[in-house]
Amino acid sequence: MSSPYQAAINQGLIREAAWRHRRLAVRLSVAAGFVVLLWLSASRINLSLKNVIQGVPSMVDFFGRMFPPDLSSLMPLLGPMVETVQIAAWGTVLAVVASAPLALLAAHNTSPHPSVYYVTRLFLNLLRSINELIYALLLVSAVGLGPFPGVLAIALHATGMLAKFVAEEIEHVNRGPVEALQAAGAGRMQIILFGIMPQVLPAVVGYILYRFDVSIRSATVLGLVGAGGLGFTLITSMKMFKYHETATSILLIILLIWAADAISSHLQKKIL
Amino acid sequence: MNMNVSTVSQAANAAPVDRSPILSLVNVSKTYVRGKLVALTDVSFDIGQGEFVVILGPSGAGKSTMLRCINRLAQPTGGQVFLRGQEITDAPRSLRKARREIGMVFQQFNLVTRLSVMTNVLSGRLSYRSTWRSLFYSFTREDRAIALECLEMVALGHKAFQRADTLSGGEQQRVAIARALAQQPKIILADEPVASLDPKIARQVLDYLRDVSQRLGISVICNLHQINFAREYAQRIIGLSQGKLIFDGPPGALTDDIISQIYGTRVESSGE
Repeated sequence: MSSPYQAAINQGLIREAAWRHRRLAVRLSVAAGFVVLLWLSASRINLSLKNVIQGVPSMVDFFGRMFPPDLSSLMPLLGPMVETVQIAAWGTVLAVVASAPLALLAAHNTSPHPSVYYVTRLFLNLLRSINELIYALLLVSAVGLGPFPGVLAIALHATGMLAKFVAEEIEHVNRGPVEALQAAGAGRMQIILFGIMPQVLPAVVGYILYRFDVSIRSATVLGLVGAGGLGFTLITSMKMFKYHETATSILLIILLIWAADAISSHLQKKIL
Repeated sequence: MNMNVSTVSQAANAAPVDRSPILSLVNVSKTYVRGKLVALTDVSFDIGQGEFVVILGPSGAGKSTMLRCINRLAQPTGGQVFLRGQEITDAPRSLRKARREIGMVFQQFNLVTRLSVMTNVLSGRLSYRSTWRSLFYSFTREDRAIALECLEMVALGHKAFQRADTLSGGEQQRVAIARALAQQPKIILADEPVASLDPKIARQVLDYLRDVSQRLGISVICNLHQINFAREYAQRIIGLSQGKLIFDGPPGALTDDIISQIYGTRVESSGE
Protein backbone atom coordinates (compact mmCIF):
# COMPACT_ATOMS: atom_id res chain seq x y z
CA MET A 1 0.00 0.00 0.00
CA SER A 2 1.50 3.25 -1.11
CA SER A 3 0.80 6.47 0.78
CA PRO A 4 0.90 10.01 -0.61
CA TYR A 5 3.56 10.64 2.01
CA GLN A 6 5.71 7.69 0.86
CA ALA A 7 8.75 9.76 -0.09
CA ALA A 8 8.83 11.53 3.27
CA ILE A 9 8.30 8.20 5.08
CA ASN A 10 11.22 6.54 3.32
CA GLN A 11 13.49 9.47 3.95
CA GLY A 12 12.33 9.63 7.57
CA LEU A 13 13.08 5.95 8.14
CA ILE A 14 16.67 6.44 7.02
CA ARG A 15 17.11 9.49 9.25
CA GLU A 16 15.48 7.74 12.20
CA ALA A 17 17.77 4.72 11.88
CA ALA A 18 20.83 6.96 11.79
CA TRP A 19 19.58 8.85 14.85
CA ARG A 20 18.91 5.60 16.71
CA HIS A 21 22.36 4.23 15.92
CA ARG A 22 23.97 7.50 16.98
CA ARG A 23 22.11 7.44 20.28
CA LEU A 24 23.10 3.83 20.94
CA ALA A 25 26.75 4.61 20.23
CA VAL A 26 26.68 7.49 22.71
CA ARG A 27 25.10 5.35 25.43
CA LEU A 28 27.53 2.49 24.87
CA SER A 29 30.54 4.79 25.06
CA VAL A 30 29.30 6.43 28.26
CA ALA A 31 28.71 3.01 29.81
CA ALA A 32 32.14 1.84 28.67
CA GLY A 33 33.69 4.96 30.15
CA PHE A 34 32.03 4.23 33.48
CA VAL A 35 33.23 0.65 33.44
CA VAL A 36 36.80 1.75 32.78
CA LEU A 37 36.66 4.31 35.60
CA LEU A 38 35.25 1.78 38.03
CA TRP A 39 37.82 -0.84 37.07
CA LEU A 40 40.65 1.65 37.52
CA SER A 41 39.44 2.62 40.98
CA ALA A 42 38.77 -0.96 42.05
CA SER A 43 42.43 -1.73 42.45
CA ARG A 44 43.09 1.48 44.43
CA ILE A 45 40.45 0.66 47.00
CA ASN A 46 41.50 -2.98 47.26
CA LEU A 47 38.21 -4.47 46.15
CA SER A 48 38.56 -8.14 46.54
CA LEU A 49 35.96 -10.87 46.71
CA LYS A 50 38.66 -13.26 47.86
CA ASN A 51 39.27 -11.15 50.99
CA VAL A 52 35.57 -11.09 51.81
CA ILE A 53 35.27 -14.86 51.55
CA GLN A 54 38.45 -15.35 53.57
CA GLY A 55 37.07 -13.03 56.21
CA VAL A 56 33.81 -14.90 56.74
CA PRO A 57 35.18 -17.19 59.48
CA SER A 58 36.35 -14.16 61.48
CA MET A 59 32.96 -12.50 61.09
CA VAL A 60 31.21 -15.66 62.25
CA ASP A 61 33.59 -15.89 65.20
CA PHE A 62 32.94 -12.27 66.17
CA PHE A 63 29.21 -12.71 65.85
CA GLY A 64 29.39 -15.84 67.99
CA ARG A 65 31.11 -13.92 70.77
CA MET A 66 28.28 -11.37 70.80
CA PHE A 67 25.51 -13.95 70.79
CA PRO A 68 23.53 -14.40 73.04
CA PRO A 69 23.15 -10.73 74.00
CA ASP A 70 23.63 -9.98 77.68
CA LEU A 71 20.13 -9.04 78.76
CA SER A 72 21.18 -8.20 82.30
CA SER A 73 22.82 -5.08 80.92
CA LEU A 74 19.50 -4.03 79.39
CA MET A 75 18.33 -1.93 82.34
CA PRO A 76 21.58 0.00 82.80
CA LEU A 77 21.56 0.74 79.06
CA LEU A 78 18.20 2.46 79.22
CA GLY A 79 19.89 5.55 80.62
CA PRO A 80 22.27 5.89 77.66
CA MET A 81 19.34 5.20 75.35
CA VAL A 82 17.44 8.16 76.76
CA GLU A 83 20.64 10.16 76.55
CA THR A 84 20.90 9.41 72.83
CA VAL A 85 17.39 10.73 72.29
CA GLN A 86 18.16 13.80 74.38
CA ILE A 87 21.30 14.50 72.38
CA ALA A 88 19.30 14.29 69.17
CA ALA A 89 16.48 16.43 70.58
CA TRP A 90 18.69 19.23 71.83
CA GLY A 91 20.83 19.15 68.72
CA THR A 92 17.71 19.56 66.60
CA VAL A 93 16.22 22.29 68.81
CA LEU A 94 19.41 24.34 68.68
CA ALA A 95 19.49 23.89 64.92
CA VAL A 96 15.89 25.13 64.60
CA VAL A 97 16.65 28.25 66.65
CA ALA A 98 19.80 29.04 64.68
CA SER A 99 18.23 28.27 61.30
CA ALA A 100 15.34 30.69 61.60
CA PRO A 101 17.32 33.91 61.11
CA LEU A 102 19.88 32.24 58.83
CA ALA A 103 17.21 30.97 56.47
CA LEU A 104 15.74 34.47 56.15
CA LEU A 105 19.17 35.84 55.31
CA ALA A 106 19.82 33.05 52.81
CA ALA A 107 16.68 33.57 50.73
CA HIS A 108 16.63 36.01 47.82
CA ASN A 109 13.28 37.51 48.68
CA THR A 110 13.94 38.09 52.38
CA SER A 111 17.64 38.83 52.44
CA PRO A 112 18.47 42.50 53.16
CA HIS A 113 21.30 42.63 50.63
CA PRO A 114 22.81 40.35 47.97
CA SER A 115 26.17 40.28 49.76
CA VAL A 116 24.45 39.07 52.94
CA TYR A 117 22.74 36.41 50.85
CA TYR A 118 26.01 35.13 49.38
CA VAL A 119 27.92 35.13 52.65
CA THR A 120 25.11 33.31 54.46
CA ARG A 121 24.83 30.68 51.71
CA LEU A 122 28.58 30.16 51.83
CA PHE A 123 28.48 29.77 55.60
CA LEU A 124 25.62 27.28 55.41
CA ASN A 125 27.42 25.23 52.74
CA LEU A 126 30.40 25.10 55.06
CA LEU A 127 28.26 23.81 57.92
CA ARG A 128 26.65 21.22 55.70
CA SER A 129 29.77 19.83 54.14
CA ILE A 130 31.48 18.86 57.40
CA ASN A 131 30.11 15.60 58.72
CA GLU A 132 28.82 15.40 62.29
CA LEU A 133 31.45 12.82 63.13
CA ILE A 134 34.24 15.25 62.30
CA TYR A 135 32.58 18.00 64.32
CA ALA A 136 32.25 15.58 67.23
CA LEU A 137 35.92 14.58 67.03
CA LEU A 138 37.00 18.21 67.09
CA LEU A 139 34.57 19.16 69.84
CA VAL A 140 35.41 16.19 72.07
CA SER A 141 39.03 17.26 72.10
CA ALA A 142 37.90 20.83 72.84
CA VAL A 143 35.18 20.40 75.49
CA GLY A 144 35.81 16.83 76.61
CA LEU A 145 33.91 13.53 76.47
CA GLY A 146 30.19 13.29 77.05
CA PRO A 147 26.91 14.21 75.40
CA PHE A 148 27.55 17.96 75.03
CA PRO A 149 29.95 17.75 72.06
CA GLY A 150 27.44 15.39 70.46
CA VAL A 151 24.69 17.98 70.83
CA LEU A 152 26.85 20.68 69.28
CA ALA A 153 28.02 18.45 66.44
CA ILE A 154 24.47 17.58 65.49
CA ALA A 155 23.35 21.20 65.87
CA LEU A 156 26.08 22.53 63.59
CA HIS A 157 25.43 20.12 60.75
CA ALA A 158 21.65 20.24 61.10
CA THR A 159 21.67 24.05 61.04
CA GLY A 160 23.35 23.97 57.64
CA MET A 161 20.85 21.46 56.27
CA LEU A 162 17.75 23.00 57.82
CA ALA A 163 18.53 26.62 57.03
CA LYS A 164 19.19 25.82 53.39
CA PHE A 165 15.97 23.85 53.12
CA VAL A 166 13.90 26.61 54.71
CA ALA A 167 15.59 29.22 52.51
CA GLU A 168 14.64 27.23 49.40
CA GLU A 169 11.05 26.99 50.65
CA ILE A 170 10.97 30.72 51.33
CA GLU A 171 12.16 31.44 47.81
CA HIS A 172 9.39 29.30 46.35
CA VAL A 173 6.43 30.86 48.14
CA ASN A 174 3.50 32.18 46.19
CA ARG A 175 4.26 35.88 45.71
CA GLY A 176 0.61 36.91 45.36
CA PRO A 177 -0.25 37.00 49.07
CA VAL A 178 3.08 38.68 49.77
CA GLU A 179 2.21 41.42 47.31
CA ALA A 180 -1.22 41.81 48.82
CA LEU A 181 0.33 42.41 52.24
CA GLN A 182 2.75 44.91 50.74
CA ALA A 183 -0.14 46.73 49.15
CA ALA A 184 -1.92 46.80 52.52
CA GLY A 185 1.00 48.66 54.08
CA ALA A 186 2.46 45.82 56.13
CA GLY A 187 6.09 46.08 57.20
CA ARG A 188 8.84 43.62 56.22
CA MET A 189 8.63 41.50 59.35
CA GLN A 190 4.83 41.48 59.22
CA ILE A 191 4.96 40.27 55.63
CA ILE A 192 7.29 37.46 56.67
CA LEU A 193 5.08 36.49 59.61
CA PHE A 194 1.73 36.64 57.83
CA GLY A 195 2.63 36.00 54.21
CA ILE A 196 5.68 33.78 54.08
CA MET A 197 5.76 31.74 57.27
CA PRO A 198 2.23 30.28 56.93
CA GLN A 199 3.13 29.12 53.43
CA VAL A 200 6.37 27.34 54.36
CA LEU A 201 5.34 26.00 57.76
CA PRO A 202 4.01 22.52 56.82
CA ALA A 203 7.03 21.60 54.70
CA VAL A 204 9.42 23.01 57.29
CA VAL A 205 7.85 21.16 60.22
CA GLY A 206 7.96 17.96 58.18
CA TYR A 207 11.63 18.51 57.49
CA ILE A 208 12.36 19.22 61.15
CA LEU A 209 10.78 15.89 62.06
CA TYR A 210 12.88 14.20 59.39
CA ARG A 211 16.02 15.88 60.71
CA PHE A 212 15.20 14.71 64.24
CA ASP A 213 15.00 11.18 62.93
CA VAL A 214 18.36 11.56 61.19
CA SER A 215 19.83 13.10 64.34
CA ILE A 216 18.95 10.05 66.39
CA ARG A 217 20.88 7.88 63.98
CA SER A 218 23.79 10.33 64.09
CA ALA A 219 23.69 10.48 67.88
CA THR A 220 24.19 6.72 68.09
CA VAL A 221 27.25 6.94 65.87
CA LEU A 222 28.72 9.97 67.63
CA GLY A 223 28.93 7.95 70.81
CA LEU A 224 31.69 5.98 69.11
CA VAL A 225 34.00 8.97 69.34
CA GLY A 226 33.08 9.66 72.94
CA ALA A 227 30.04 11.84 72.63
CA GLY A 228 27.76 9.90 74.94
CA GLY A 229 24.65 7.76 74.53
CA LEU A 230 24.33 4.21 73.20
CA GLY A 231 27.24 4.56 70.79
CA PHE A 232 29.53 5.26 73.73
CA THR A 233 28.43 2.15 75.61
CA LEU A 234 28.86 0.17 72.40
CA ILE A 235 32.46 1.19 71.86
CA THR A 236 33.31 0.95 75.56
CA SER A 237 31.98 -2.58 75.84
CA MET A 238 33.85 -3.55 72.68
CA LYS A 239 37.15 -2.23 73.97
CA MET A 240 36.66 -4.21 77.18
CA PHE A 241 35.88 -7.32 75.15
CA LYS A 242 32.44 -7.57 76.72
CA TYR A 243 30.90 -8.56 73.41
CA HIS A 244 27.61 -9.73 74.90
CA GLU A 245 27.01 -6.22 76.15
CA THR A 246 27.98 -4.86 72.75
CA ALA A 247 25.23 -6.98 71.25
CA THR A 248 22.72 -5.50 73.67
CA SER A 249 23.78 -1.99 72.74
CA ILE A 250 23.38 -2.83 69.07
CA LEU A 251 19.93 -4.29 69.70
CA LEU A 252 18.82 -1.20 71.54
CA ILE A 253 20.18 1.04 68.78
CA ILE A 254 18.17 -0.89 66.20
CA LEU A 255 15.08 -0.67 68.38
CA LEU A 256 15.51 3.04 68.97
CA ILE A 257 16.01 3.91 65.32
CA TRP A 258 13.10 1.76 64.24
CA ALA A 259 10.84 3.50 66.78
CA ALA A 260 12.10 6.96 65.82
CA ASP A 261 11.53 6.23 62.13
CA ALA A 262 8.00 5.01 62.75
CA ILE A 263 7.00 7.97 64.94
CA SER A 264 8.64 10.49 62.66
CA SER A 265 6.99 9.27 59.46
CA HIS A 266 3.64 8.97 61.23
CA LEU A 267 3.84 12.58 62.42
CA GLN A 268 5.01 13.78 59.03
CA LYS A 269 2.01 12.17 57.38
CA LYS A 270 -0.32 13.81 59.86
CA ILE A 271 1.10 17.24 59.14
CA LEU A 272 0.87 17.09 55.37
CA MET B 1 -19.12 44.24 76.40
CA ASN B 2 -17.65 47.51 75.27
CA MET B 3 -20.05 49.20 72.86
CA ASN B 4 -17.77 52.11 72.15
CA VAL B 5 -15.49 50.22 69.80
CA SER B 6 -15.25 52.40 66.75
CA THR B 7 -16.42 50.65 63.65
CA VAL B 8 -15.84 51.17 60.01
CA SER B 9 -19.34 52.40 59.25
CA GLN B 10 -19.45 54.76 62.22
CA ALA B 11 -16.15 56.29 61.13
CA ALA B 12 -17.39 56.68 57.58
CA ASN B 13 -20.62 58.39 58.58
CA ALA B 14 -18.80 60.78 60.86
CA ALA B 15 -16.40 62.01 58.19
CA PRO B 16 -17.32 65.29 56.49
CA VAL B 17 -18.03 65.15 52.77
CA ASP B 18 -14.85 66.06 50.89
CA ARG B 19 -15.15 67.84 47.57
CA SER B 20 -11.44 67.87 46.70
CA PRO B 21 -10.03 64.91 44.78
CA ILE B 22 -8.92 61.92 46.82
CA LEU B 23 -6.45 60.87 44.19
CA SER B 24 -4.73 62.75 41.38
CA LEU B 25 -2.56 61.36 38.65
CA VAL B 26 -0.55 63.96 36.75
CA ASN B 27 1.19 62.83 33.56
CA VAL B 28 2.03 59.45 34.99
CA SER B 29 4.25 57.43 32.69
CA LYS B 30 5.87 54.05 33.03
CA THR B 31 8.55 52.61 30.80
CA TYR B 32 10.62 49.46 31.11
CA VAL B 33 14.01 48.41 29.79
CA ARG B 34 15.49 51.93 29.75
CA GLY B 35 12.62 53.43 27.86
CA LYS B 36 12.24 50.79 25.18
CA LEU B 37 9.01 49.30 26.54
CA VAL B 38 6.32 51.91 27.08
CA ALA B 39 3.52 50.83 29.40
CA LEU B 40 1.92 54.18 30.23
CA THR B 41 2.14 57.61 28.64
CA ASP B 42 1.01 60.81 30.35
CA VAL B 43 -2.00 59.46 32.17
CA SER B 44 -3.81 62.15 34.13
CA PHE B 45 -7.10 62.15 36.01
CA ASP B 46 -8.64 63.01 39.38
CA ILE B 47 -10.79 60.77 41.51
CA GLY B 48 -13.31 62.25 43.91
CA GLN B 49 -14.53 60.80 47.16
CA GLY B 50 -16.92 57.91 46.75
CA GLU B 51 -16.60 57.68 42.96
CA PHE B 52 -16.87 54.29 41.30
CA VAL B 53 -14.59 54.45 38.30
CA VAL B 54 -14.03 51.63 35.84
CA ILE B 55 -10.84 51.49 33.80
CA LEU B 56 -11.72 49.81 30.54
CA GLY B 57 -9.23 48.41 28.11
CA PRO B 58 -7.88 45.27 26.48
CA SER B 59 -5.07 43.19 28.02
CA GLY B 60 -1.74 44.91 27.72
CA ALA B 61 -3.33 48.36 27.68
CA GLY B 62 -1.60 49.27 30.91
CA LYS B 63 -4.54 48.99 33.32
CA SER B 64 -2.66 46.87 35.87
CA THR B 65 0.47 48.96 35.53
CA MET B 66 -1.50 52.11 36.18
CA LEU B 67 -3.15 50.72 39.28
CA ARG B 68 0.18 49.48 40.60
CA CYS B 69 1.73 52.90 40.00
CA ILE B 70 -0.84 54.33 42.39
CA ASN B 71 0.16 52.23 45.39
CA ARG B 72 3.71 51.90 44.06
CA LEU B 73 3.86 48.18 43.59
CA ALA B 74 5.30 49.59 40.38
CA GLN B 75 7.35 52.76 40.33
CA PRO B 76 6.26 55.46 37.85
CA THR B 77 9.09 56.61 35.66
CA GLY B 78 7.42 59.94 34.99
CA GLY B 79 4.70 62.15 36.43
CA GLN B 80 3.26 62.40 39.92
CA VAL B 81 0.66 60.75 42.09
CA PHE B 82 -1.14 62.74 44.76
CA LEU B 83 -3.12 61.16 47.56
CA ARG B 84 -5.37 63.65 49.36
CA GLY B 85 -3.17 66.44 48.15
CA GLN B 86 0.10 64.85 49.27
CA GLU B 87 2.56 63.61 46.69
CA ILE B 88 3.29 59.93 47.13
CA THR B 89 5.23 59.23 43.95
CA ASP B 90 8.66 59.03 45.52
CA ALA B 91 8.63 59.41 49.29
CA PRO B 92 9.83 56.15 50.83
CA ARG B 93 9.07 57.08 54.42
CA SER B 94 5.36 57.62 54.05
CA LEU B 95 4.86 54.62 51.77
CA ARG B 96 3.35 52.43 54.47
CA LYS B 97 1.05 55.22 55.60
CA ALA B 98 -0.04 55.93 52.04
CA ARG B 99 -0.65 52.25 51.34
CA ARG B 100 -2.77 52.08 54.47
CA GLU B 101 -5.26 54.39 52.82
CA ILE B 102 -5.29 52.42 49.58
CA GLY B 103 -6.81 48.98 49.63
CA MET B 104 -6.21 46.53 46.79
CA VAL B 105 -8.14 43.60 45.43
CA PHE B 106 -6.41 41.24 43.01
CA GLN B 107 -7.57 38.99 40.22
CA GLN B 108 -6.09 35.93 41.96
CA PHE B 109 -7.54 36.94 45.36
CA ASN B 110 -4.09 36.59 46.95
CA LEU B 111 -5.31 35.35 50.31
CA VAL B 112 -3.01 33.34 52.53
CA THR B 113 -4.87 30.11 51.94
CA ARG B 114 -3.64 28.19 54.98
CA LEU B 115 -4.78 30.91 57.37
CA SER B 116 -8.34 31.43 58.56
CA VAL B 117 -10.66 33.87 56.89
CA MET B 118 -10.53 35.99 60.04
CA THR B 119 -6.74 36.17 60.08
CA ASN B 120 -6.70 37.09 56.42
CA VAL B 121 -9.03 40.01 57.06
CA LEU B 122 -7.07 40.98 60.16
CA SER B 123 -3.92 41.23 58.07
CA GLY B 124 -5.52 44.31 56.58
CA ARG B 125 -4.98 45.92 59.99
CA LEU B 126 -1.23 45.25 60.02
CA SER B 127 -0.29 48.75 58.93
CA TYR B 128 -1.81 50.01 62.18
CA ARG B 129 0.11 47.62 64.42
CA SER B 130 3.72 47.59 65.50
CA THR B 131 6.15 44.87 64.44
CA TRP B 132 6.53 43.73 68.05
CA ARG B 133 2.87 43.06 68.44
CA SER B 134 2.72 41.21 65.13
CA LEU B 135 5.51 38.93 66.31
CA PHE B 136 2.91 37.37 68.59
CA TYR B 137 0.21 37.49 65.94
CA SER B 138 -1.66 39.82 68.27
CA PHE B 139 -4.33 42.34 67.35
CA THR B 140 -6.42 44.73 69.42
CA ARG B 141 -10.05 44.20 70.28
CA GLU B 142 -10.86 47.08 67.96
CA ASP B 143 -9.07 45.26 65.14
CA ARG B 144 -11.16 42.16 65.70
CA ALA B 145 -14.38 44.16 65.80
CA ILE B 146 -13.46 45.89 62.56
CA ALA B 147 -12.52 42.61 60.89
CA LEU B 148 -15.80 40.98 61.88
CA GLU B 149 -17.76 43.99 60.70
CA CYS B 150 -16.01 43.92 57.33
CA LEU B 151 -16.83 40.24 56.99
CA GLU B 152 -20.47 40.96 57.77
CA MET B 153 -20.52 43.60 55.07
CA VAL B 154 -19.64 40.93 52.52
CA ALA B 155 -21.98 38.43 54.24
CA LEU B 156 -19.23 36.02 55.27
CA GLY B 157 -19.27 36.47 59.05
CA HIS B 158 -20.41 32.87 59.49
CA LYS B 159 -17.27 31.57 57.79
CA ALA B 160 -14.82 33.65 59.79
CA PHE B 161 -12.99 30.74 61.40
CA GLN B 162 -12.67 28.46 58.41
CA ARG B 163 -9.47 28.11 56.48
CA ALA B 164 -9.47 30.44 53.51
CA ASP B 165 -8.90 27.66 50.99
CA THR B 166 -12.19 26.00 51.96
CA LEU B 167 -14.08 28.87 50.35
CA SER B 168 -15.21 29.15 46.75
CA GLY B 169 -13.63 31.63 44.35
CA GLY B 170 -16.34 34.23 44.74
CA GLU B 171 -16.25 33.90 48.52
CA GLN B 172 -12.48 34.25 48.58
CA GLN B 173 -12.72 37.46 46.58
CA ARG B 174 -15.27 38.78 49.06
CA VAL B 175 -12.82 37.99 51.86
CA ALA B 176 -10.22 39.91 49.89
CA ILE B 177 -12.62 42.85 49.73
CA ALA B 178 -13.17 42.57 53.49
CA ARG B 179 -9.40 42.60 53.97
CA ALA B 180 -9.15 45.79 51.96
CA LEU B 181 -12.03 47.31 53.91
CA ALA B 182 -10.34 46.48 57.20
CA GLN B 183 -7.67 49.00 56.31
CA GLN B 184 -10.39 51.67 56.51
CA PRO B 185 -9.10 53.00 53.21
CA LYS B 186 -10.12 56.04 51.24
CA ILE B 187 -9.69 54.18 47.95
CA ILE B 188 -9.91 50.61 46.82
CA LEU B 189 -8.01 49.55 43.73
CA ALA B 190 -9.49 46.47 42.10
CA ASP B 191 -7.33 44.84 39.44
CA GLU B 192 -9.57 42.63 37.29
CA PRO B 193 -11.36 41.41 40.42
CA VAL B 194 -13.82 39.19 38.58
CA ALA B 195 -11.80 37.90 35.64
CA SER B 196 -11.46 34.47 37.28
CA LEU B 197 -15.15 34.17 38.19
CA ASP B 198 -18.19 33.08 36.23
CA PRO B 199 -20.67 35.87 35.29
CA LYS B 200 -23.22 35.27 38.05
CA ILE B 201 -20.61 35.20 40.82
CA ALA B 202 -18.80 38.10 39.17
CA ARG B 203 -21.95 40.19 39.46
CA GLN B 204 -22.28 39.27 43.12
CA VAL B 205 -18.75 40.41 43.83
CA LEU B 206 -19.17 43.65 41.88
CA ASP B 207 -22.43 44.24 43.74
CA TYR B 208 -20.60 43.99 47.05
CA LEU B 209 -17.88 46.30 45.79
CA ARG B 210 -20.36 48.91 44.66
CA ASP B 211 -22.36 48.52 47.83
CA VAL B 212 -19.45 49.21 50.17
CA SER B 213 -18.34 52.07 47.99
CA GLN B 214 -21.70 53.77 48.35
CA ARG B 215 -22.22 52.93 52.00
CA LEU B 216 -18.80 53.94 53.22
CA GLY B 217 -17.92 56.64 50.72
CA ILE B 218 -14.85 54.75 49.49
CA SER B 219 -13.66 55.57 45.98
CA VAL B 220 -13.20 52.52 43.81
CA ILE B 221 -10.98 52.25 40.77
CA CYS B 222 -11.82 48.98 39.07
CA ASN B 223 -9.99 47.48 36.10
CA LEU B 224 -12.34 45.57 33.87
CA HIS B 225 -12.16 44.23 30.36
CA GLN B 226 -15.85 43.31 30.21
CA ILE B 227 -17.70 46.16 28.58
CA ASN B 228 -21.12 45.12 29.89
CA PHE B 229 -19.94 45.12 33.50
CA ALA B 230 -18.35 48.52 32.95
CA ARG B 231 -21.61 49.91 31.70
CA GLU B 232 -23.57 48.36 34.57
CA TYR B 233 -21.41 49.41 37.48
CA ALA B 234 -19.38 52.47 36.58
CA GLN B 235 -20.35 56.00 37.44
CA ARG B 236 -17.46 56.99 35.24
CA ILE B 237 -15.39 55.12 32.69
CA ILE B 238 -11.77 55.76 31.79
CA GLY B 239 -10.69 54.11 28.58
CA LEU B 240 -7.09 53.03 28.26
CA SER B 241 -5.47 51.91 25.05
CA GLN B 242 -1.79 51.14 24.58
CA GLY B 243 -0.87 53.10 27.68
CA LYS B 244 -2.80 56.23 26.77
CA LEU B 245 -5.97 57.61 28.29
CA ILE B 246 -8.36 58.03 25.41
CA PHE B 247 -11.72 58.36 27.12
CA ASP B 248 -12.96 59.80 30.38
CA GLY B 249 -16.67 60.15 30.89
CA PRO B 250 -19.96 58.62 32.03
CA PRO B 251 -21.04 55.21 30.67
CA GLY B 252 -23.71 56.94 28.61
CA ALA B 253 -21.06 58.70 26.56
CA LEU B 254 -19.36 55.43 25.66
CA THR B 255 -20.22 54.98 21.99
CA ASP B 256 -19.41 52.01 19.80
CA ASP B 257 -16.90 54.19 18.05
CA ILE B 258 -15.00 54.90 21.25
CA ILE B 259 -15.11 51.23 22.20
CA SER B 260 -13.55 50.36 18.85
CA GLN B 261 -10.84 52.90 19.52
CA ILE B 262 -10.12 51.42 22.93
CA TYR B 263 -10.04 47.85 21.67
CA GLY B 264 -8.50 48.72 18.33
CA THR B 265 -11.08 46.70 16.46
CA ARG B 266 -14.73 46.65 15.54
CA VAL B 267 -16.54 45.51 18.69
CA GLU B 268 -20.21 44.71 19.25
CA SER B 269 -21.09 46.86 22.24
CA SER B 270 -23.77 44.42 23.40
CA GLY B 271 -21.26 41.54 23.54
CA GLU B 272 -19.25 40.19 26.50
